[in-house]
Amino acid sequence: MVYGIIELINFAHGDIFMMGTLVTLTIMNWFGIVAENPPQSLTWDLVAKLIITAIGSFLVCAILGVIIERVAYRPLRNAPRLAPLISAIGVSLVLQDTGKLWKGNTDIPFPSLPFGTFQVGAVSISSITVFMLLIALILMVGLHLLVTRTRLGRAMRAVAQDREAAALMGVNVNRIISITFFIGAGLAGAAGFIYSLQFPNTNFSIGYDLGLVAFTCAVLGGIGNIVGAMVGGLIIGIVRSLVSEIPGTVLPHGGDAWVSAVVYGVLILILVFRPSGLLGQQTPEKV
Amino acid sequence: MLNVPESIDGGLLAPDRSLRALLVKWLVALLIPVVVFTFLWSGEALENNVLLAIFSPQNSILSDVPSVVQAGIFCAVFYATVIALVGYLVAADNGRRGRYGTIELWADMIAYTVAPILLISWTNDLVIGLALSVIVISIYLFVRKRVRDVLHYSPPAPLTDIQVFDEEQRGFLIRKARIGSLWFAAIFAIISLIADIIFLLLGSLSTILLIWAAIRTLVLPIAGYFLGWLGGIVAARQTLREGTNGTTKNGTSLSGKVSKRQQLEGLSTTRAREEARNLVPNDQPLQNRGTLRFCIVIIAAFVLFYPALDPVFFAFGTNGRLVGYDDLGYYVILALGLNIVVGFAGLLDLGYVAFFVLGTYTWALVGSDQFTVITGIVTNPQIWPWLFWPMLIIGAIIAALWGVLLGAPTLRLRGDYLAIVTLGFGEIIPLFFQNLDKYTKGTSGISGIYHPLTPCASSLPSIPWLRFLSWLPCIDWSSYNPVPYYYLILAIIVLCIFANLRLRDSRLGRAWIAIREDEIAASSSGINLVKAKLFAFAAGAFFAGIAGAYHAAKLGTVASSDFNTTDSFVYLAMVVIGGLGSIPGVLLGAVIVYSLNQLILAQLDSIATNPGSFLYGFKQLFPSFNFTDIRNLLFGLLLIAIMLFRPEGLIPSARRRRELHQHAEEAAEVGALDEPPGAPGFEEEIRVE
Repeated sequence: MVYGIIELINFAHGDIFMMGTLVTLTIMNWFGIVAENPPQSLTWDLVAKLIITAIGSFLVCAILGVIIERVAYRPLRNAPRLAPLISAIGVSLVLQDTGKLWKGNTDIPFPSLPFGTFQVGAVSISSITVFMLLIALILMVGLHLLVTRTRLGRAMRAVAQDREAAALMGVNVNRIISITFFIGAGLAGAAGFIYSLQFPNTNFSIGYDLGLVAFTCAVLGGIGNIVGAMVGGLIIGIVRSLVSEIPGTVLPHGGDAWVSAVVYGVLILILVFRPSGLLGQQTPEKV
Repeated sequence: MLNVPESIDGGLLAPDRSLRALLVKWLVALLIPVVVFTFLWSGEALENNVLLAIFSPQNSILSDVPSVVQAGIFCAVFYATVIALVGYLVAADNGRRGRYGTIELWADMIAYTVAPILLISWTNDLVIGLALSVIVISIYLFVRKRVRDVLHYSPPAPLTDIQVFDEEQRGFLIRKARIGSLWFAAIFAIISLIADIIFLLLGSLSTILLIWAAIRTLVLPIAGYFLGWLGGIVAARQTLREGTNGTTKNGTSLSGKVSKRQQLEGLSTTRAREEARNLVPNDQPLQNRGTLRFCIVIIAAFVLFYPALDPVFFAFGTNGRLVGYDDLGYYVILALGLNIVVGFAGLLDLGYVAFFVLGTYTWALVGSDQFTVITGIVTNPQIWPWLFWPMLIIGAIIAALWGVLLGAPTLRLRGDYLAIVTLGFGEIIPLFFQNLDKYTKGTSGISGIYHPLTPCASSLPSIPWLRFLSWLPCIDWSSYNPVPYYYLILAIIVLCIFANLRLRDSRLGRAWIAIREDEIAASSSGINLVKAKLFAFAAGAFFAGIAGAYHAAKLGTVASSDFNTTDSFVYLAMVVIGGLGSIPGVLLGAVIVYSLNQLILAQLDSIATNPGSFLYGFKQLFPSFNFTDIRNLLFGLLLIAIMLFRPEGLIPSARRRRELHQHAEEAAEVGALDEPPGAPGFEEEIRVE
């Protein structure tokens, strides 16, 4: 979403997500939820604390995103196209090292929270998985509504299409871009929170890889197309898990070692035949 | 108007008033840095060591003949160039800027030359000294701007004094230059003599050097007279001259060459202003092309003889520093190659490391035992290393072929789709080399890769008809001796720069630039997009292949864990920070990014433990603090800072600078000059700003 508006590969996005996981961890620790002594039962008290954690993570990352935009991107808005890319790489490095200074350079475990599982036929599903899917769905629908139905969303789309024309129509471009970064970075923070529920640990370097995967999904689906990004995410997820099942007898070191090669291979193949992604519009070339 | 005095010959030693002001201006401006270099840093040590090496070898730091010769040549070239430069500057200055201009020039010279020299000699480290001086210069520029604001001073617009020079006036320029150089050389000789006498009284000067001091005092002024002549000729060649046929009315002269003046008339305002900046006389001769040439001579001499000079300048640890510079060399080549793809053709490539990996493994697999392991062919270690030289090219060609292969699927992609696909290649190819460890030994790495060989008595295979090469000196190519690699990479860099320049100015290069500016317009103008883009990928990959083969041969070991996808970003940062499409910019960008990342930030910890350094106090305050922990943080901050400071790059290419300026100037008139230079209307027109 940030990408669609300012047309910049935000390398720092994944690292904001990483900061989100660290912020989540910190807030949980403030509430006394620590990895060494995880809570045993799911009480309303715990749920309330988790909700506050999620909101906290959202806010901290959102503010972080706005600050980054203000400091590193806004002065470069009219600069040559690659200048903000380099400063984005710079921001990514800064965030990684900040994370490392803050929490050390080892894996940090999340507290494992007591979520039940339930059975559907022969398959047992953790309630957290359902919960995650639910949250993801709500966020996606919300985002879609925000962009397509509200005044703010219309302003965002206007800025994305033509910044100068939008400014002439009375849209405060700086404010809209700041808000975009606020929401985009905040969502990364929320994702950090969800990640903490599902995965056992985090460290300072997860952001970069996940950011790239996320960007790959977006490109695969077609940049700026939310449904496309979801389809792209789905395809890449399936390819990843299928490839990692390939045994070592077929490929040296087994499929796991080849995952990213295959993922990018699939991406390249798809882009060869559909240069603007699966669902991306073939925009007519401007002359 | 430049008035030629009547008695110019009588004025050689007693110059008239306006010339005296010029002399004072430039003599002071250049004497200060030269004296600081000579007596406060290592200039005199260098000179003395060369002499000592000749007359009493046991007292000199310079131990072997080649390094004495090199240091000697450097000394001669350095001082001769500076003396000639003074003459050039005196001749080229029209003296129009007055008193403020003189003071400003002196301040500039202190900030740009004296400060770096002092900082380098204080930190005793070239790279760190230069980095600190960049900070000092930024502060200076800021202060200068403030002072100008306070004094309500703005430098006068350039070029009000364009005039056509005839033969007599050019002769006067040369005489001016001679006077300048002569005075400079004479004063410098006297200063050196006084310094030597002081040393003599202090008892630290050997007799041999005393004789030298006497000779030098006599020789320098004479040399100054002739070098001034040289500087004057350089200056006179840049004056605006009439068409060779004596008229300016018809377009071409007898020889078919268009006169400079007519060229200027045909150019747009922006271009004319750029060109006119290089004319003589000028009010800022320090910034024109002639001065640049003198500086290039000095820098080239410094780079060429650096290995010999290093022990005199920085004492111990020459080899360690040279290893660092050797590595810097292949980064320069990578940046030059990436500049073709990103800077010229405008194709954002985030996976450039792939081609470097290909080049590296080409030589690693062929030039080591691994070749026997894979193919079963037993190779003779006496002969096999010779293959390095052809493989340097073959490796590059292989990389270029892969460039075409990987470029082909991306032809239809644009902008960031292209970026992500190239990023993918940057991920896939190193992964292949890592996972196919049956052949490449993966992360544990191939070791024992052959170093290159050059012909000499002991390295030649016993083939009779090759014996004629046995007179060549043997060169130690092992990893412990970085000097040959320094010269190897220097030669490769020079070739690469040459290739880059020729490519840029070729038909293909213009096609690339056209594609960068507007793909559709380019293809409508008959440019074959497929061919041009594939050539761009191939040319970029070719350079990466050379860099890779060099890297493998120099290091002797290659492991897949040496390469990261993120390396591509570092290469890209070099190109963007230097200035997209600008060759000097890219060179500077590579040097700056590499120095920051590898030579400065990586060494902060060891610097901080040294009591004499500027970080020592900091380390004492926070003993548990480790600079390694914040290395990337500092690097990231610096990247952001440089981009905020100069978004278009440190030395933007002339074309790009013109584009940027054009925006500001569009309101003003852009087009051919209506008035010819020299006509009364020209000055008004050129000062559109």
